[in-house]
Amino acid sequence: MYEYLGILIYFFIALALSLLLLGLPFVVSTRKADPEKISAYECGFDPFDDARGRFDIQFYLVAILFIIFDLEVAFLFPWALTLNKIGFFGFWSMMLFLLILTIGFVYEWRKGALDWS
Amino acid sequence: MDFLFYIFSSLTLVSGALVIQARNPVHSVLFLILVFFNAAGLLVLLGLDFFALLFLVVYVGAIAVLFLFVVMMLNIRISEISEKRLRYLPVGGVLAVLFLFEICILIDNDLIPLLSYNIENTELLANYNQLSFIDWRMFLSTSHTIDALGSLLYTYYFYFFLVASLILLVAMIGAIVLTMQKGIRIKRQQVFLQNTRDFAKTIRKVA
Amino acid sequence: MNILIFSIVLKILALTVPLILSIAFLVLAERKVLASMQRRKGPNVVGIYGIFQPIADGLKLIVKEPVLPSSANLVIFLFAPVLTFLLSQVAWASIPFGEGIVLADIHVGLLYVFAISSLGVYGIITAGWSSNSKYAFLGSCRSAAQMVSYEVSIGLILITVCICAGSLNLTEVVLAQTQIWYCIPLFPLLVMFFISCLAETNRAPFDLPEAEAELVAGYNVEYSAMGFALFFLGEYANMIVMSSLCCIFFLGGWLPPFDFAIFYWIPGIFWFSLKVVFFLFAFIWVRAAFPRYRYDQLMRLGWKVLLPLSLAWVIYVAGVLLCFDWLA
Repeated sequence: MYEYLGILIYFFIALALSLLLLGLPFVVSTRKADPEKISAYECGFDPFDDARGRFDIQFYLVAILFIIFDLEVAFLFPWALTLNKIGFFGFWSMMLFLLILTIGFVYEWRKGALDWS
Repeated sequence: MDFLFYIFSSLTLVSGALVIQARNPVHSVLFLILVFFNAAGLLVLLGLDFFALLFLVVYVGAIAVLFLFVVMMLNIRISEISEKRLRYLPVGGVLAVLFLFEICILIDNDLIPLLSYNIENTELLANYNQLSFIDWRMFLSTSHTIDALGSLLYTYYFYFFLVASLILLVAMIGAIVLTMQKGIRIKRQQVFLQNTRDFAKTIRKVA
Repeated sequence: MNILIFSIVLKILALTVPLILSIAFLVLAERKVLASMQRRKGPNVVGIYGIFQPIADGLKLIVKEPVLPSSANLVIFLFAPVLTFLLSQVAWASIPFGEGIVLADIHVGLLYVFAISSLGVYGIITAGWSSNSKYAFLGSCRSAAQMVSYEVSIGLILITVCICAGSLNLTEVVLAQTQIWYCIPLFPLLVMFFISCLAETNRAPFDLPEAEAELVAGYNVEYSAMGFALFFLGEYANMIVMSSLCCIFFLGGWLPPFDFAIFYWIPGIFWFSLKVVFFLFAFIWVRAAFPRYRYDQLMRLGWKVLLPLSLAWVIYVAGVLLCFDWLA
């Protein structure tokens, strides 16, 4: 597990580097806050209303579908590694798993959940 | 390594407390993500790197994204939330005491034995020699966690694996049943029909 | 312990400094190559052939005024570009440049790479939301949904490569291609992986959420100076990471094309860089050549075309390898 120490240190060094890069303009350049400059951009007008108005259900559906297929990929990882040890029995149990999930996928396709309206 | 354990566990506890403390719900979700990161760090310290990365992929990469999408799009008024906090203290306190009691029961192992062989059952004793046990030590000692998991999950414990697939199926169907209404069926483009259209038939003389 | 940490820090510096230089020159290379494809010259004023253009761009971005929008959540606003840049850097930890030349030779390197690309969504979501601007938020949600959709097909293609190689360790994946590179038996998978990488890094033709003409550069509309620069650097670093992943999984990493001794005289790093440069050129070429996908066409491609196809490939490859007993 000592390899992960490298990743942790790299994380901190990259964090320090990016904070340095982010902080540099604050130090170097002049700053004059102007009410026009710091207001939100809306093609030159003042913003009409609060930024979060509508809730688009499509994003929720895409996120749920992504969770399910991500879990499917997570189940596929150990199976892919040990395919030689588990032989045909393991192969067919995974095929049954994929068949059940494919049934769900076909249901979604037909219901139109995958179309972006 | 002890130092790292203290850092990760204290950050987990602090972030967990801040999840419920934060007034802005988006901040709570971001602190939840921090909890998951630190839990993944603790798993790496335990030597379970597969599970740590799986935490990152599934929890942080998928579930917390779902939370973020929902929380960001719902316009939750912060002032309403902070008004009603103290009202939840009695019920919340009872639940917290109950959970603490359950954890204390689990830690005291004598109450829940792992093997419940009833030795007075003579029938079981007669067939004892015919039971086949898997010698887990030889089977798993030389493998990495992920190899061991793969060898077992799809063969010896495949029922649980298939139950997991049924749970995912229910989740898929449930999400669609809850969100798809009749109004969403609008006119869509049939890409296949468009691509396979016969050019000769598209234009014809009318008069 | 101290020597271990010191050697790790040296390796990280040896990785980071050339990486930032290469990102800077990739920006220049993209402009020059795009220009050549459009029959004009790119930037050629600043140095000979415009060599110092990235330095000039960097200096300009440093001295620009950092504007913090009044209604933004400051901490998250400043954290989003840092996160994007950070993730694009940390992904390099498990990428092998040669036999044993890797910062952290993790046993589950493939899963690590998948995890880092999954986390890439956060930079975009937090940037869009914290800007408190309708356009930024909408652009970021669409961009995040796009990245998340193509993440699944990337995962399934990685599974196929894992079945063929028999290990999740990236060095082992490369060494398993000594006889033949995976692009030859799995060529359609290379094409699918390349398309998914284009969509994952929000590059053309899938760059609707961040295109200049649409939604005014999308989720980073409120960023100026170094925030914008960090997003930009993060995107190009992601591009280079994805190119090197394509190269490791399908083109045999640091291995020469044929397994003869004479090819091994050229060091592996040279072969690796050659292949990565080829894929980067392909990224830029695709940007110049193809029109942009509309958003619903993009999502249709990800869910209805690439996902079933890559799933079918997993089943096909697993079945064939198991039946003929060719598993590693």
